[in-house]
Order: sequence, then structure tokens, then C-alpha cells
Amino acid sequence: MTIQIENEGSVLVARLAGRLDTAAAVEITPDIQALAEQADKHIVLDCSALEYISSSGLRLFLTLRKESAAKGGKLQVRAISADIRQVFMMTGFISLFEIV
Amino acid sequence: MDLHSEFILEEFRDAMPVFEKMQAEVMQQLRDALARNGLVVTAVESRIKTEESLAGKLALKGSKYTTLSDITDILGARIITFYTDDVDRIAAMAEKLFEIDWTNSVDKRKLHQLDSFGYNSLHYICRLPGYEYRFELQLRTTLQHAWASINHDTGYKSGVEIPREYMRRINRLAGLLEMADDEFSRIRTEITDYRRRVQQLVQNGKLDDVLLDGDTFRSYLKVRPFERLNQRIAAINQAEIQDVPLIRYLRVLKALGCNTLGDVSRLRNEYEEDAYALARHQLGNTDLDIVSSAVGLQNICIVCILKQGGGKIGLLRFFNALNGHNTQNEELAELTYNQASNLPFMK
Repeated sequence: MTIQIENEGSVLVARLAGRLDTAAAVEITPDIQALAEQADKHIVLDCSALEYISSSGLRLFLTLRKESAAKGGKLQVRAISADIRQVFMMTGFISLFEIV
Repeated sequence: MDLHSEFILEEFRDAMPVFEKMQAEVMQQLRDALARNGLVVTAVESRIKTEESLAGKLALKGSKYTTLSDITDILGARIITFYTDDVDRIAAMAEKLFEIDWTNSVDKRKLHQLDSFGYNSLHYICRLPGYEYRFELQLRTTLQHAWASINHDTGYKSGVEIPREYMRRINRLAGLLEMADDEFSRIRTEITDYRRRVQQLVQNGKLDDVLLDGDTFRSYLKVRPFERLNQRIAAINQAEIQDVPLIRYLRVLKALGCNTLGDVSRLRNEYEEDAYALARHQLGNTDLDIVSSAVGLQNICIVCILKQGGGKIGLLRFFNALNGHNTQNEELAELTYNQASNLPFMK
């Protein structure tokens, strides 16, 4: 599991790749916290190379969304696979995120 | 400028740090008190008179003042409210915070003759305990503020007295804005009453009497009508439930034919079991131990669409309504349809 954070103009893009299982969620928590500190900005979670998301991964997404809402930023989830979209749907979070 | 005025100006320069400290304390106390009382206002602002402005005042009426303490508007604070009745609420709040110099305070709203209109504002001359100098607190509505600002701009800025005809038109506008202020306050009171009535109907279970709209749906959600279903769904994987807003479902429910809260309640009762079966089918084979508080209502809508024969197109419309139009919604609709098609309610 990797996460790469880059600036694309004024947008912060976090590229997630691999399997976001419980262990990986612990591993990338510092990166997500770093993103959360800048949650007043426009953040895009690029999931085009994300293969799997666990509950722990969902919790990280939720943390970021909460921070973004609190700080008046914008959070978008980009290019999620059908499987991950299904996870968002089954858990009822599909309408919570702006998925592009 | 005469010598007496020069003395007062000198005193003003020496007292500037005191006024600055006083300004910070007054602003802090006002902001804290507004927050404590749940009062939302347009602006809280303050200024310390400039030396130039004070010199101008002294040049005009310097003999009126013995010392700097006699001038009550060196520090001026202003609260601009949305509603006219908030001016009185904030006045009551200020009376508790500061010592009010009633002799010099003036309610300009009460000074007008029955047939005259113009500047409307409440001016309190206040003292912060422990300070020698007094300050002025102005309270007015946004509309009163707009009128006063424009009147000041047109009437005084040029330094030329404007003709009676224009003054009459400006004052006529003050009357119009007074009516608008009263109407805004009345509307707010009536909306509050309406919300109270709706809440009472919801609490008494008289849901058929309540039309479905944004306000009433929010009131209905306060009684957590989908909690039992959410808890059953969460129990499938011993999941935690994260609270999320459900207001987006309003347009979906309307599209499903719900016109009253009674319709929403019936929809829930009719499809609850199948919505649970769908969730069990979807989540049962996973280790997902977190669900949102929208999951129950989401599944109720899915089941309703499918049982009413909406098929994949109906589901696509549903996901489009929730997530916005997106090419991947088609895939999601297809997937959900296929999952549900194995369940008894689809047979």
C-alpha cells in the first residue's frame, strides 16, 4: 500500500495504491493526518490504483471528510473501482462523499 | 484650537493604551455573551476615534467637555443584527455586562414623532467595570444600518446641505425599511411557531397531517425513525454506526411518492424487513464493521424501487439523485439489481 501526496495547482492530490486493509490503514495514518491538517484546502483522494478498502480505510476517509467539513475545505474521491464503490454503497456512505 | 481643547487632546494621546485595552475587552465580552445566548448577528465591530476626528469634535463643541471622560464616544462598538427584536435582546444582554449611563443613553427608535421616520438605532453609553472612561454601544438592524450608512454618505459626505425634497425621499425609505424589519421579525416568529407545531405533530405521531418538506423531514429525523433498522443492520457485523446527514434522501422520498411524513413512515414499515434482508445479503459475507446512519433508509428506497418495478433504470435514477450524475452509477445500479435479484422479495 502506498500513498503519494502531490500538489496539482491549488489542489492536494493523494494517490492511493494497493490494498487499504487494517495494517495499511495504520501505516498511512500519519499521511492522512498530514492531509487533515490541510483540510481547509481542496483535497482529492485518487483511488484509481486502490484495489481494496477495509473498515479501517473507510474510517480514514471519514476522518478526512469530517476535518474537511469542519475547516470549510473540499474533499473529492476520484476514480474508485466498482468493488470499492460497492463497499461505499453497502455501508451507506455512498451519498456522503463527492465521488468524481 | 483653544488651550482647553489642546489639554483634552493631550489626555487622549496618553489614554490611548487604556482605550485599546478597553476595546479588546469590550469586543471579547460582547462576542462571548452573544455566543452564550445563541445570538447570531451580522456584525460586531468597534473603533477608537482618530485624533483628527476628536480634534474636529473639540473644534465644534470643545467647551461642552471639562475632561476627556466627558466624551462618551471615544470608543464606539456596534452590533448589527438580522432582526429588530434581537436589538432588544442584545440590549438586555449589554445591561448585564456593563454599567449603563441611563442619562446619556438614547433609544432613537422612540424619538420619532408618529408621522416621522429616520435614523433608528439604540445607543447605550456604557462603562466597563474598573475603567474611568465610558464608551458608546450602538445596536441596530442590518436594514437600519444600511439606511444610516447611505444617509450618512448622501447627506453629510459632501458637506453640502441637501434639498428638502431629497431628505423627504430618504426618510420615506426609512419608513419602508422599518416595515420590512417588522415583517422579517414576524416571518421569523411564524416560522418558529410552524416548526414547533410540526415537532408536536411528529411527537404525537400525527404524521399524516405533516406535509413532507425540508423542515418537516428534519423534525422527523430528530425522532430517529430509522434507528431500529440501522441497529439491526449494524448487528450483522457488530458494526459501529456513523451519523451522517439524511437530507439528500428528501428528493428521493418525494420521487417515490411520499407527500407526507405519514407516507414516509408507511414506506419504512412496509419495506423494513426486505431492506434488512438486502443488507444481510450484502454485508453478511464481509468484515465491514462500520455503517452509516443512512444505510437503513438507503436500503428501504432500493427495495421500494425494485418492488414497484423500477428495475435497473429506477436504481440508476436513485443513485443519480444521491450522488449526482456519474457514469459509474450505471455499474452500481446493475450490481445492486443483481444482488437483490437473489432475494425472496424479488421472486
